[in-house]
Amino acid sequence: MIEPTGLADFFTIFFSSAMVILLGALYALLFAYARIRAMPLLMPLAYLSYAGLFISTLFLAQAANLLSHPLWETVVACMLLGYLLAPHGIWHLCVGTHAAGAEKDAVTEVIPESMTKEA
Amino acid sequence: MATPGICDSANLNGGQKLAVKYFTVAITLFGAQVLFGLLAGLQYLMPDFLYGVLDFSVNRMVHINALVVWMLYGFLGSVYWLLEEESQHEIVGLKLGNVIFWVLTAAVTVVVLVFLLVQVGPGKESTIWLINEGREYIEAPRWADIGIVVSVLVVFYNVAATFGKGRYTGIAGVLVLDLLALFGIYLAGMFYTTNISIDQYWWWWVIHLWVEATWEVMVACIMAYGLMKVLGVRRKIVETWLYIEVALMFGSGILGLGHHYFWIGTPEYWFSIGGVFSALEPIPLVAMVVHAVFDAGARHAKNSNHPTMAWLIAHAFGNFFGAGVWGFMHTLPQINLYTHGTQWSASHGHLAFFGAYATIVIAMFYLAVQKWRGDVWMSGGLPGNGWKWKWALGLLNLGMVGMTMSMLVSGYVQSQIERAIEGSSWIGYFAAQSHHWFVQGMWWREVFGVMFAAGFVLLVWDLLTIGCGEQRKLVPASDSV
Repeated sequence: MIEPTGLADFFTIFFSSAMVILLGALYALLFAYARIRAMPLLMPLAYLSYAGLFISTLFLAQAANLLSHPLWETVVACMLLGYLLAPHGIWHLCVGTHAAGAEKDAVTEVIPESMTKEA
Repeated sequence: MATPGICDSANLNGGQKLAVKYFTVAITLFGAQVLFGLLAGLQYLMPDFLYGVLDFSVNRMVHINALVVWMLYGFLGSVYWLLEEESQHEIVGLKLGNVIFWVLTAAVTVVVLVFLLVQVGPGKESTIWLINEGREYIEAPRWADIGIVVSVLVVFYNVAATFGKGRYTGIAGVLVLDLLALFGIYLAGMFYTTNISIDQYWWWWVIHLWVEATWEVMVACIMAYGLMKVLGVRRKIVETWLYIEVALMFGSGILGLGHHYFWIGTPEYWFSIGGVFSALEPIPLVAMVVHAVFDAGARHAKNSNHPTMAWLIAHAFGNFFGAGVWGFMHTLPQINLYTHGTQWSASHGHLAFFGAYATIVIAMFYLAVQKWRGDVWMSGGLPGNGWKWKWALGLLNLGMVGMTMSMLVSGYVQSQIERAIEGSSWIGYFAAQSHHWFVQGMWWREVFGVMFAAGFVLLVWDLLTIGCGEQRKLVPASDSV
Protein backbone atom coordinates (compact mmCIF):
# COMPACT_ATOMS: atom_id res chain seq x y z
CA MET A 1 0.00 0.00 0.00
CA ILE A 2 2.75 2.46 0.88
CA GLU A 3 6.39 2.38 0.00
CA PRO A 4 8.41 4.52 2.42
CA THR A 5 10.55 7.14 0.82
CA GLY A 6 14.31 6.75 0.52
CA LEU A 7 16.71 8.69 2.73
CA ALA A 8 18.10 10.58 -0.24
CA ASP A 9 14.61 11.83 -1.16
CA PHE A 10 13.79 13.50 2.16
CA PHE A 11 14.73 16.98 1.06
CA THR A 12 13.01 16.59 -2.32
CA ILE A 13 9.78 15.66 -0.56
CA PHE A 14 9.84 18.50 1.94
CA PHE A 15 10.85 21.06 -0.66
CA SER A 16 8.46 19.94 -3.40
CA SER A 17 5.55 19.68 -0.90
CA ALA A 18 6.16 23.23 0.26
CA MET A 19 6.43 24.39 -3.36
CA VAL A 20 3.10 22.74 -4.21
CA ILE A 21 1.30 24.83 -1.58
CA LEU A 22 3.23 28.04 -2.20
CA LEU A 23 2.87 27.88 -5.99
CA GLY A 24 -0.77 26.94 -5.54
CA ALA A 25 -1.26 30.12 -3.52
CA LEU A 26 0.71 32.18 -6.05
CA TYR A 27 -1.39 30.78 -8.89
CA ALA A 28 -4.59 31.65 -7.01
CA LEU A 29 -3.28 35.10 -6.12
CA LEU A 30 -2.22 36.00 -9.66
CA PHE A 31 -5.37 34.49 -11.13
CA ALA A 32 -7.63 36.54 -8.86
CA TYR A 33 -5.54 39.70 -9.21
CA ALA A 34 -5.49 39.47 -13.00
CA ARG A 35 -9.25 39.30 -13.09
CA ILE A 36 -10.11 41.80 -10.39
CA ARG A 37 -7.76 44.44 -11.79
CA ALA A 38 -8.58 43.47 -15.38
CA MET A 39 -4.88 42.84 -16.08
CA PRO A 40 -4.88 39.92 -18.55
CA LEU A 41 -1.09 40.11 -18.82
CA LEU A 42 -0.86 38.58 -15.35
CA MET A 43 -2.83 35.52 -16.37
CA PRO A 44 0.11 33.81 -18.16
CA LEU A 45 2.13 34.29 -14.96
CA ALA A 46 -0.67 32.63 -13.02
CA TYR A 47 -0.57 29.62 -15.31
CA LEU A 48 3.22 29.63 -15.15
CA SER A 49 2.86 29.26 -11.38
CA TYR A 50 0.49 26.39 -11.98
CA ALA A 51 3.05 24.81 -14.31
CA GLY A 52 5.57 25.08 -11.46
CA LEU A 53 3.04 23.44 -9.18
CA PHE A 54 2.56 20.69 -11.74
CA ILE A 55 6.28 19.99 -11.90
CA SER A 56 6.61 20.12 -8.09
CA THR A 57 3.78 17.63 -7.76
CA LEU A 58 5.50 15.26 -10.17
CA PHE A 59 8.76 15.57 -8.22
CA LEU A 60 6.85 14.89 -5.01
CA ALA A 61 5.08 11.92 -6.58
CA GLN A 62 8.37 10.48 -7.79
CA ALA A 63 10.20 10.96 -4.49
CA ALA A 64 7.33 9.70 -2.33
CA ASN A 65 6.78 6.63 -4.54
CA LEU A 66 3.24 7.75 -5.39
CA LEU A 67 3.39 6.53 -8.98
CA SER A 68 3.62 2.87 -8.09
CA HIS A 69 0.04 2.32 -7.01
CA PRO A 70 -3.28 3.28 -8.69
CA LEU A 71 -4.67 4.85 -5.50
CA TRP A 72 -1.74 7.21 -5.06
CA GLU A 73 -1.78 8.01 -8.78
CA THR A 74 -5.40 9.05 -8.30
CA VAL A 75 -4.36 11.28 -5.38
CA VAL A 76 -1.79 12.99 -7.63
CA ALA A 77 -4.41 13.49 -10.34
CA CYS A 78 -6.91 14.90 -7.82
CA MET A 79 -4.31 17.33 -6.51
CA LEU A 80 -3.42 18.56 -9.98
CA LEU A 81 -7.05 18.94 -10.98
CA GLY A 82 -8.10 20.42 -7.64
CA TYR A 83 -5.44 23.10 -7.64
CA LEU A 84 -6.21 23.96 -11.26
CA LEU A 85 -9.97 24.28 -10.84
CA ALA A 86 -10.33 25.60 -7.26
CA PRO A 87 -9.50 29.25 -8.10
CA HIS A 88 -11.97 29.16 -11.04
CA GLY A 89 -14.73 27.73 -8.87
CA ILE A 90 -14.13 30.13 -6.01
CA TRP A 91 -14.05 33.06 -8.44
CA HIS A 92 -17.52 32.16 -9.70
CA LEU A 93 -18.74 31.84 -6.12
CA CYS A 94 -17.28 35.25 -5.30
CA VAL A 95 -19.01 36.90 -8.25
CA GLY A 96 -22.27 35.16 -7.39
CA THR A 97 -22.30 35.95 -3.69
CA HIS A 98 -21.17 39.55 -4.05
CA ALA A 99 -23.57 40.24 -6.90
CA ALA A 100 -26.49 38.82 -4.91
CA GLY A 101 -25.52 40.90 -1.89
CA ALA A 102 -25.10 44.03 -3.96
CA GLU A 103 -28.50 43.55 -5.57
CA LYS A 104 -30.22 43.20 -2.26
CA ASP A 105 -28.49 46.16 -0.68
CA ALA A 106 -28.68 48.26 -3.85
CA VAL A 107 -24.93 48.88 -3.67
CA THR A 108 -24.27 48.02 -7.26
CA GLU A 109 -20.92 49.74 -7.43
CA VAL A 110 -19.38 47.12 -5.13
CA ILE A 111 -18.52 44.92 -8.09
CA PRO A 112 -16.98 46.78 -11.00
CA GLU A 113 -18.17 45.75 -14.43
CA SER A 114 -14.69 44.57 -15.38
CA MET A 115 -14.86 41.85 -12.73
CA THR A 116 -18.16 40.33 -13.76
CA LYS A 117 -17.22 40.54 -17.44
CA GLU A 118 -14.13 38.40 -16.87
CA ALA A 119 -16.12 35.82 -14.98
CA MET B 1 -22.26 56.06 27.75
CA ALA B 2 -19.28 56.70 30.03
CA THR B 3 -16.32 58.97 29.30
CA PRO B 4 -14.34 57.76 26.29
CA GLY B 5 -10.83 56.49 26.91
CA ILE B 6 -11.60 54.84 30.25
CA CYS B 7 -12.32 51.13 30.72
CA ASP B 8 -15.89 51.24 31.97
CA SER B 9 -18.26 48.29 32.20
CA ALA B 10 -21.12 50.66 31.37
CA ASN B 11 -19.84 50.49 27.79
CA LEU B 12 -20.51 46.76 27.63
CA ASN B 13 -23.60 44.59 27.51
CA GLY B 14 -24.05 41.63 29.89
CA GLY B 15 -22.41 39.08 27.63
CA GLN B 16 -19.47 41.37 26.95
CA LYS B 17 -18.87 41.85 30.67
CA LEU B 18 -18.66 38.09 31.02
CA ALA B 19 -16.45 37.93 27.92
CA VAL B 20 -13.96 40.33 29.51
CA LYS B 21 -13.60 37.89 32.43
CA TYR B 22 -12.95 35.03 30.01
CA PHE B 23 -10.41 37.13 28.11
CA THR B 24 -8.61 38.07 31.34
CA VAL B 25 -8.14 34.42 32.31
CA ALA B 26 -7.20 33.58 28.71
CA ILE B 27 -4.32 36.05 28.59
CA THR B 28 -3.14 34.97 32.04
CA LEU B 29 -2.98 31.36 30.86
CA PHE B 30 -1.27 32.54 27.66
CA GLY B 31 1.44 33.97 29.90
CA ALA B 32 1.67 30.66 31.79
CA GLN B 33 1.99 28.82 28.49
CA VAL B 34 4.89 31.04 27.42
CA LEU B 35 6.63 30.74 30.81
CA PHE B 36 6.40 26.96 31.04
CA GLY B 37 7.38 26.66 27.38
CA LEU B 38 10.55 28.62 28.05
CA LEU B 39 11.36 26.42 31.05
CA ALA B 40 10.76 23.22 29.08
CA GLY B 41 12.87 24.55 26.21
CA LEU B 42 15.68 25.31 28.62
CA GLN B 43 15.54 21.77 29.97
CA TYR B 44 16.29 20.48 26.47
CA LEU B 45 19.58 22.38 26.70
CA MET B 46 20.30 21.84 30.41
CA PRO B 47 18.62 18.56 31.40
CA ASP B 48 19.55 19.05 35.07
CA PHE B 49 17.79 22.39 35.28
CA LEU B 50 14.99 22.11 37.87
CA TYR B 51 15.24 18.31 37.76
CA GLY B 52 13.29 16.86 40.67
CA VAL B 53 11.72 20.25 41.34
CA LEU B 54 9.81 20.95 38.17
CA ASP B 55 10.45 18.10 35.77
CA PHE B 56 10.39 18.44 31.99
CA SER B 57 7.29 16.22 31.76
CA VAL B 58 5.39 18.59 34.06
CA ASN B 59 6.61 21.74 32.33
CA ARG B 60 5.63 20.38 28.96
CA MET B 61 2.25 19.23 30.26
CA VAL B 62 1.40 22.62 31.76
CA HIS B 63 2.71 24.35 28.60
CA ILE B 64 0.35 22.36 26.37
CA ASN B 65 -2.65 22.27 28.67
CA ALA B 66 -2.38 26.02 29.22
CA LEU B 67 -2.51 26.39 25.44
CA VAL B 68 -5.66 24.29 25.12
CA VAL B 69 -7.41 26.04 28.01
CA TRP B 70 -6.46 29.63 27.14
CA MET B 71 -7.75 29.16 23.63
CA LEU B 72 -10.95 27.59 24.92
CA TYR B 73 -11.38 30.60 27.22
CA GLY B 74 -10.64 32.93 24.31
CA PHE B 75 -13.25 31.26 22.10
CA LEU B 76 -15.93 31.10 24.79
CA GLY B 77 -15.22 34.73 25.63
CA SER B 78 -15.55 35.64 21.95
CA VAL B 79 -18.88 33.81 21.75
CA TYR B 80 -20.22 35.73 24.76
CA TRP B 81 -18.82 38.93 23.26
CA LEU B 82 -20.81 38.68 20.05
CA LEU B 83 -23.91 36.94 21.43
CA GLU B 84 -26.12 39.89 22.42
CA GLU B 85 -25.18 42.00 19.40
CA GLU B 86 -25.76 39.11 17.06
CA SER B 87 -29.06 37.96 18.58
CA GLN B 88 -30.22 41.47 19.50
CA HIS B 89 -31.48 39.99 22.73
CA GLU B 90 -30.24 39.87 26.31
CA ILE B 91 -28.45 36.64 27.15
CA VAL B 92 -30.78 34.00 28.55
CA GLY B 93 -29.35 32.50 31.75
CA LEU B 94 -26.50 34.97 32.07
CA LYS B 95 -26.31 34.44 35.85
CA LEU B 96 -25.74 30.73 35.29
CA GLY B 97 -23.10 31.63 32.70
CA ASN B 98 -21.34 33.79 35.29
CA VAL B 99 -21.50 31.06 37.93
CA ILE B 100 -20.04 28.54 35.50
CA PHE B 101 -17.21 30.93 34.62
CA TRP B 102 -16.13 31.08 38.26
CA VAL B 103 -16.56 27.32 38.76
CA LEU B 104 -14.52 26.57 35.62
CA THR B 105 -11.80 29.03 36.60
CA ALA B 106 -11.57 27.58 40.11
CA ALA B 107 -11.34 24.08 38.59
CA VAL B 108 -8.57 25.11 36.19
CA THR B 109 -6.63 26.64 39.10
CA VAL B 110 -6.97 23.47 41.17
CA VAL B 111 -5.93 21.27 38.23
CA VAL B 112 -2.78 23.33 37.60
CA LEU B 113 -1.89 23.33 41.30
CA VAL B 114 -2.31 19.55 41.44
CA PHE B 115 -0.12 19.18 38.32
CA LEU B 116 2.59 21.21 40.04
CA LEU B 117 2.30 19.76 43.54
CA VAL B 118 1.77 16.09 42.70
CA GLN B 119 4.35 15.47 40.02
CA VAL B 120 5.05 11.80 40.69
CA GLY B 121 3.14 8.98 42.36
CA PRO B 122 1.39 5.68 41.77
CA GLY B 123 -0.91 5.30 38.76
CA LYS B 124 -4.21 3.94 40.08
CA GLU B 125 -7.87 4.22 39.12
CA SER B 126 -8.19 7.08 41.59
CA THR B 127 -5.28 8.89 39.89
CA ILE B 128 -7.32 9.19 36.70
CA TRP B 129 -10.17 10.75 38.64
CA LEU B 130 -8.24 13.05 40.93
CA ILE B 131 -4.69 13.73 39.74
CA ASN B 132 -3.92 13.19 36.08
CA GLU B 133 -5.60 11.26 33.30
CA GLY B 134 -2.20 10.53 31.77
CA ARG B 135 -3.23 11.16 28.19
CA GLU B 136 -1.15 13.67 26.28
CA TYR B 137 -2.77 17.10 25.75
CA ILE B 138 -5.84 16.25 27.84
CA GLU B 139 -4.17 15.29 31.12
CA ALA B 140 -6.86 16.98 33.25
CA PRO B 141 -8.34 14.47 35.72
CA ARG B 142 -11.78 13.05 35.07
CA TRP B 143 -13.58 15.35 37.51
CA ALA B 144 -12.25 18.32 35.55
CA ASP B 145 -13.34 16.65 32.29
CA ILE B 146 -16.88 16.49 33.63
CA GLY B 147 -16.56 20.12 34.65
CA ILE B 148 -15.51 21.12 31.12
CA VAL B 149 -18.43 19.23 29.60
CA VAL B 150 -20.93 20.82 32.01
CA SER B 151 -19.46 24.26 31.33
CA VAL B 152 -19.73 23.84 27.57
CA LEU B 153 -23.31 22.64 28.02
CA VAL B 154 -24.14 25.82 29.94
CA VAL B 155 -22.52 27.94 27.20
CA PHE B 156 -24.58 25.97 24.68
CA TYR B 157 -27.72 26.71 26.70
CA ASN B 158 -26.87 30.43 26.89
CA VAL B 159 -26.23 30.61 23.16
CA ALA B 160 -29.09 28.41 21.90
CA ALA B 161 -31.70 29.95 24.22
CA THR B 162 -30.59 33.50 23.42
CA PHE B 163 -30.66 32.96 19.68
CA GLY B 164 -33.96 31.11 20.13
CA LYS B 165 -35.55 34.19 21.68
CA GLY B 166 -33.72 36.78 19.60
CA ARG B 167 -32.58 37.10 16.00
CA TYR B 168 -31.53 33.78 14.51
CA THR B 169 -28.80 34.49 11.97
CA GLY B 170 -26.60 32.29 9.82
CA ILE B 171 -23.77 32.74 12.31
CA ALA B 172 -26.20 31.69 15.05
CA GLY B 173 -27.10 28.45 13.28
CA VAL B 174 -23.49 27.43 12.71
CA LEU B 175 -22.46 28.43 16.24
CA VAL B 176 -25.25 26.51 17.97
CA LEU B 177 -24.48 23.31 16.06
CA ASP B 178 -20.78 23.76 16.66
CA LEU B 179 -21.22 24.14 20.42
CA LEU B 180 -23.22 20.92 20.39
CA ALA B 181 -20.28 19.19 18.68
CA LEU B 182 -17.86 20.86 21.12
CA PHE B 183 -19.75 19.18 23.94
CA GLY B 184 -20.29 15.84 22.20
CA ILE B 185 -16.83 15.15 20.80
CA TYR B 186 -15.10 15.88 24.11
CA LEU B 187 -16.94 12.86 25.51
CA ALA B 188 -14.79 10.63 23.26
CA GLY B 189 -11.82 11.44 25.50
CA MET B 190 -13.54 10.53 28.73
CA PHE B 191 -13.15 6.78 28.70
CA TYR B 192 -10.28 4.45 28.06
CA THR B 193 -9.83 0.90 26.87
CA THR B 194 -7.00 -1.49 27.61
CA ASN B 195 -6.30 -1.86 23.88
CA ILE B 196 -3.93 1.01 23.13
CA SER B 197 -4.92 1.20 19.44
CA ILE B 198 -8.62 1.56 20.24
CA ASP B 199 -7.80 3.99 23.02
CA GLN B 200 -5.71 6.16 20.70
CA TYR B 201 -8.40 5.94 18.03
CA TRP B 202 -10.93 7.68 20.27
CA TRP B 203 -8.36 9.98 21.86
CA TRP B 204 -7.67 11.46 18.43
CA TRP B 205 -11.34 12.42 18.16
CA VAL B 206 -10.72 14.91 20.90
CA ILE B 207 -7.32 16.05 19.71
CA HIS B 208 -8.13 16.30 16.01
CA LEU B 209 -11.90 16.67 15.75
CA TRP B 210 -12.47 18.72 18.91
CA VAL B 211 -9.51 21.00 18.41
CA GLU B 212 -9.17 21.07 14.64
CA ALA B 213 -12.81 20.81 13.59
CA THR B 214 -15.08 22.39 16.20
CA TRP B 215 -12.52 25.09 16.97
CA GLU B 216 -12.03 25.82 13.27
CA VAL B 217 -15.78 26.34 12.84
CA MET B 218 -15.90 28.56 15.92
CA VAL B 219 -13.00 30.58 14.52
CA ALA B 220 -14.90 30.92 11.23
CA CYS B 221 -17.90 32.35 13.15
CA ILE B 222 -15.67 34.76 15.08
CA MET B 223 -13.91 35.77 11.85
CA ALA B 224 -17.29 36.43 10.19
CA TYR B 225 -18.31 38.67 13.07
CA GLY B 226 -14.89 40.35 13.13
CA LEU B 227 -15.02 41.16 9.42
CA MET B 228 -18.45 42.73 9.79
CA LYS B 229 -17.31 44.81 12.77
CA VAL B 230 -13.90 45.91 11.52
CA LEU B 231 -14.38 46.12 7.77
CA GLY B 232 -18.14 46.47 7.56
CA VAL B 233 -18.47 43.52 5.19
CA ARG B 234 -22.12 42.78 4.46
CA ARG B 235 -23.75 40.00 6.46
CA LYS B 236 -24.98 38.15 3.39
CA ILE B 237 -21.43 37.79 2.11
CA VAL B 238 -19.82 36.66 5.34
CA GLU B 239 -22.59 34.19 6.06
CA THR B 240 -22.44 32.71 2.56
CA TRP B 241 -18.70 32.27 2.99
CA LEU B 242 -19.18 30.84 6.43
CA TYR B 243 -21.33 28.09 4.90
CA ILE B 244 -18.81 27.52 2.09
CA GLU B 245 -15.92 27.29 4.55
CA VAL B 246 -17.78 24.84 6.78
CA ALA B 247 -18.64 22.73 3.72
CA LEU B 248 -15.02 22.72 2.53
CA MET B 249 -13.84 21.81 5.99
CA PHE B 250 -16.27 18.92 6.20
CA GLY B 251 -15.26 17.86 2.70
CA SER B 252 -11.60 17.34 3.48
CA GLY B 253 -10.94 18.13 7.14
CA ILE B 254 -12.88 15.46 8.96
CA LEU B 255 -11.42 12.47 7.13
CA GLY B 256 -8.05 14.21 7.23
CA LEU B 257 -8.17 12.85 10.79
CA GLY B 258 -6.83 9.71 9.16
CA HIS B 259 -3.27 11.07 9.12
CA HIS B 260 -3.20 10.50 12.88
CA TYR B 261 -4.19 6.87 12.42
CA PHE B 262 -1.15 5.88 10.36
CA TRP B 263 0.99 4.42 13.16
CA ILE B 264 -1.32 3.47 16.03
CA GLY B 265 -2.21 -0.03 14.90
CA THR B 266 -5.41 0.76 12.98
CA PRO B 267 -6.23 -1.10 9.72
CA GLU B 268 -4.22 -0.35 6.60
CA TYR B 269 -7.06 1.44 4.81
CA TRP B 270 -6.38 4.47 7.00
CA PHE B 271 -3.23 5.03 4.92
CA SER B 272 -5.47 5.63 1.92
CA ILE B 273 -8.12 7.67 3.71
CA GLY B 274 -5.64 9.76 5.68
CA GLY B 275 -3.31 10.21 2.71
CA VAL B 276 -6.03 11.20 0.24
CA PHE B 277 -7.89 13.65 2.43
CA SER B 278 -4.77 15.13 3.97
CA ALA B 279 -3.45 15.80 0.46
CA LEU B 280 -6.69 17.58 -0.41
CA GLU B 281 -6.91 19.61 2.81
CA PRO B 282 -4.80 22.55 1.57
CA ILE B 283 -6.89 23.09 -1.59
CA PRO B 284 -9.63 25.04 0.27
CA LEU B 285 -6.90 27.23 1.78
CA VAL B 286 -5.62 28.08 -1.68
CA ALA B 287 -9.16 28.75 -2.82
CA MET B 288 -9.60 31.20 0.03
CA VAL B 289 -6.76 33.29 -1.40
CA VAL B 290 -9.01 34.07 -4.37
CA HIS B 291 -11.79 35.21 -2.09
CA ALA B 292 -9.46 37.42 -0.05
CA VAL B 293 -8.16 39.14 -3.19
CA PHE B 294 -11.68 39.50 -4.55
CA ASP B 295 -12.92 41.09 -1.34
CA ALA B 296 -9.99 43.46 -1.05
CA GLY B 297 -10.39 44.55 -4.67
CA ALA B 298 -14.16 44.86 -4.53
CA ARG B 299 -14.46 46.88 -1.37
CA HIS B 300 -11.53 49.25 -0.76
CA ALA B 301 -12.97 49.42 2.77
CA LYS B 302 -11.25 51.26 5.60
CA ASN B 303 -11.06 49.42 8.87
CA SER B 304 -12.03 50.83 12.23
CA ASN B 305 -9.45 49.00 14.37
CA HIS B 306 -5.91 48.66 13.03
CA PRO B 307 -4.55 46.19 15.63
CA THR B 308 -7.53 43.87 15.15
CA MET B 309 -7.20 44.06 11.39
CA ALA B 310 -3.46 43.35 11.58
CA TRP B 311 -4.08 40.27 13.74
CA LEU B 312 -6.83 39.07 11.39
CA ILE B 313 -4.33 39.29 8.52
CA ALA B 314 -1.76 37.46 10.68
CA HIS B 315 -4.44 34.81 11.19
CA ALA B 316 -4.90 34.32 7.44
CA PHE B 317 -1.15 34.00 6.80
CA GLY B 318 -0.45 31.94 9.91
CA ASN B 319 -3.23 29.49 9.10
CA PHE B 320 -2.00 29.15 5.52
CA PHE B 321 1.65 28.56 6.40
CA GLY B 322 1.23 26.71 9.70
CA ALA B 323 -1.58 24.37 8.74
CA GLY B 324 -1.14 24.39 4.95
CA VAL B 325 2.56 24.47 4.08
CA TRP B 326 3.99 22.96 7.27
CA GLY B 327 1.25 20.35 7.45
CA PHE B 328 1.47 19.21 3.85
CA MET B 329 5.26 18.91 4.00
CA HIS B 330 4.96 15.77 6.13
CA THR B 331 1.39 14.59 5.87
CA LEU B 332 1.76 11.76 3.34
CA PRO B 333 2.41 8.42 5.09
CA GLN B 334 5.46 7.75 2.90
CA ILE B 335 7.32 10.58 4.70
CA ASN B 336 5.23 10.83 7.86
CA LEU B 337 6.69 7.46 8.85
CA TYR B 338 9.91 9.33 9.63
CA THR B 339 8.63 12.68 10.90
CA HIS B 340 5.67 11.74 13.11
CA GLY B 341 6.32 12.79 16.71
CA THR B 342 9.67 14.48 16.02
CA GLN B 343 10.44 18.17 16.42
CA TRP B 344 9.04 18.43 12.89
CA SER B 345 5.58 17.81 14.34
CA ALA B 346 6.31 20.35 17.08
CA SER B 347 7.35 22.87 14.43
CA HIS B 348 4.06 22.36 12.55
CA GLY B 349 2.06 22.39 15.78
CA HIS B 350 3.52 25.66 17.01
CA LEU B 351 2.94 27.60 13.79
CA ALA B 352 -0.47 26.08 13.11
CA PHE B 353 -1.87 26.73 16.60
CA PHE B 354 -0.47 30.23 16.72
CA GLY B 355 -1.56 31.07 13.17
CA ALA B 356 -4.99 29.51 13.23
CA TYR B 357 -6.11 30.24 16.79
CA ALA B 358 -3.93 32.51 18.92
CA THR B 359 -4.00 35.30 16.35
CA ILE B 360 -7.77 35.48 16.13
CA VAL B 361 -8.22 35.46 19.90
CA ILE B 362 -5.73 38.35 20.15
CA ALA B 363 -7.73 40.16 17.45
CA MET B 364 -10.81 39.77 19.66
CA PHE B 365 -8.87 41.16 22.66
CA TYR B 366 -8.29 44.38 20.74
CA LEU B 367 -11.90 44.55 19.61
CA ALA B 368 -12.97 44.15 23.24
CA VAL B 369 -10.60 46.84 24.54
CA GLN B 370 -11.91 49.29 21.95
CA LYS B 371 -15.51 48.84 23.06
CA TRP B 372 -14.59 48.69 26.75
CA ARG B 373 -12.98 52.11 26.46
CA GLY B 374 -16.12 53.52 24.87
CA ASP B 375 -15.74 52.77 21.15
CA VAL B 376 -12.66 54.93 20.89
CA TRP B 377 -10.53 55.56 17.83
CA MET B 378 -8.06 52.74 17.17
CA SER B 379 -7.13 53.37 13.54
CA GLY B 380 -4.11 55.34 12.28
CA GLY B 381 -2.53 58.18 14.23
CA LEU B 382 -2.47 56.49 17.63
CA PRO B 383 -0.10 57.98 20.25
CA GLY B 384 3.49 57.01 19.44
CA ASN B 385 2.19 55.83 16.07
CA GLY B 386 0.90 52.72 17.85
CA TRP B 387 4.44 51.39 18.38
CA LYS B 388 3.45 49.01 21.16
CA TRP B 389 0.91 47.01 19.20
CA LYS B 390 3.14 47.02 16.13
CA TRP B 391 6.18 45.80 18.06
CA ALA B 392 4.10 43.21 19.91
CA LEU B 393 2.77 41.98 16.59
CA GLY B 394 6.28 41.88 15.12
CA LEU B 395 7.98 40.21 18.09
CA LEU B 396 5.27 37.59 18.56
CA ASN B 397 5.17 36.68 14.88
CA LEU B 398 8.94 36.76 14.34
CA GLY B 399 9.48 34.84 17.55
CA MET B 400 7.02 32.18 16.42
CA VAL B 401 8.50 31.95 12.90
CA GLY B 402 11.98 31.69 14.44
CA MET B 403 10.92 28.92 16.80
CA THR B 404 9.23 27.11 13.92
CA MET B 405 12.33 27.24 11.73
CA SER B 406 14.61 26.15 14.59
CA MET B 407 12.46 23.14 15.38
CA LEU B 408 12.32 22.36 11.67
CA VAL B 409 16.12 22.01 11.60
CA SER B 410 16.10 19.82 14.71
CA GLY B 411 13.21 17.77 13.35
CA TYR B 412 15.02 17.21 10.08
CA VAL B 413 18.02 15.82 11.95
CA GLN B 414 15.76 13.65 14.09
CA SER B 415 13.82 12.20 11.17
CA GLN B 416 17.05 11.41 9.31
CA ILE B 417 19.28 10.07 12.07
CA GLU B 418 16.85 8.72 14.65
CA ARG B 419 14.21 7.36 12.29
CA ALA B 420 15.64 6.68 8.84
CA ILE B 421 19.23 5.70 9.61
CA GLU B 422 18.95 4.15 13.07
CA GLY B 423 15.41 2.78 12.73
CA SER B 424 13.82 4.44 15.79
CA SER B 425 16.17 2.66 18.20
CA TRP B 426 17.37 4.08 21.53
CA ILE B 427 20.82 4.49 20.03
CA GLY B 428 19.27 6.46 17.20
CA TYR B 429 17.29 8.59 19.64
CA PHE B 430 20.39 9.63 21.58
CA ALA B 431 22.48 10.02 18.43
CA ALA B 432 19.93 12.48 17.07
CA GLN B 433 19.44 14.32 20.37
CA SER B 434 23.15 14.93 20.72
CA HIS B 435 23.79 15.86 17.10
CA HIS B 436 25.12 19.41 16.92
CA TRP B 437 22.47 20.52 14.43
CA PHE B 438 19.71 19.28 16.69
CA VAL B 439 21.26 21.06 19.68
CA GLN B 440 21.78 24.27 17.72
CA GLY B 441 18.13 24.14 16.64
CA MET B 442 17.09 23.84 20.27
CA TRP B 443 19.25 26.81 21.26
CA TRP B 444 17.73 28.96 18.54
CA ARG B 445 14.28 27.82 19.59
CA GLU B 446 15.01 29.16 23.09
CA VAL B 447 16.36 32.45 21.74
CA PHE B 448 13.26 33.00 19.63
CA GLY B 449 11.14 31.86 22.58
CA VAL B 450 12.57 34.75 24.58
CA MET B 451 11.72 37.07 21.69
CA PHE B 452 8.17 35.68 21.72
CA ALA B 453 7.97 36.24 25.50
CA ALA B 454 9.07 39.86 25.02
CA GLY B 455 6.29 40.25 22.47
CA PHE B 456 3.81 38.83 24.97
CA VAL B 457 4.85 41.34 27.65
CA LEU B 458 4.46 44.16 25.15
CA LEU B 459 1.07 42.81 24.09
CA VAL B 460 -0.21 42.84 27.67
CA TRP B 461 1.18 46.35 28.21
CA ASP B 462 -0.50 47.53 25.03
CA LEU B 463 -3.84 45.95 25.87
CA LEU B 464 -3.76 47.71 29.24
CA THR B 465 -2.90 51.11 27.78
CA ILE B 466 -4.16 51.37 24.18
CA GLY B 467 -6.98 53.86 23.84
CA CYS B 468 -6.34 55.18 27.35
CA GLY B 469 -7.42 58.83 27.46
CA GLU B 470 -8.40 58.71 23.77
CA GLN B 471 -11.17 61.22 23.09
CA ARG B 472 -11.72 60.52 19.40
CA LYS B 473 -14.57 58.15 18.62
CA LEU B 474 -14.24 55.31 16.15
CA VAL B 475 -15.45 55.85 12.60
CA PRO B 476 -17.73 52.90 11.85
CA ALA B 477 -16.72 50.63 8.99
CA SER B 478 -18.30 51.58 5.67
CA ASP B 479 -21.28 49.24 5.40
CA SER B 480 -23.84 48.48 8.05
CA VAL B 481 -23.86 45.19 9.92
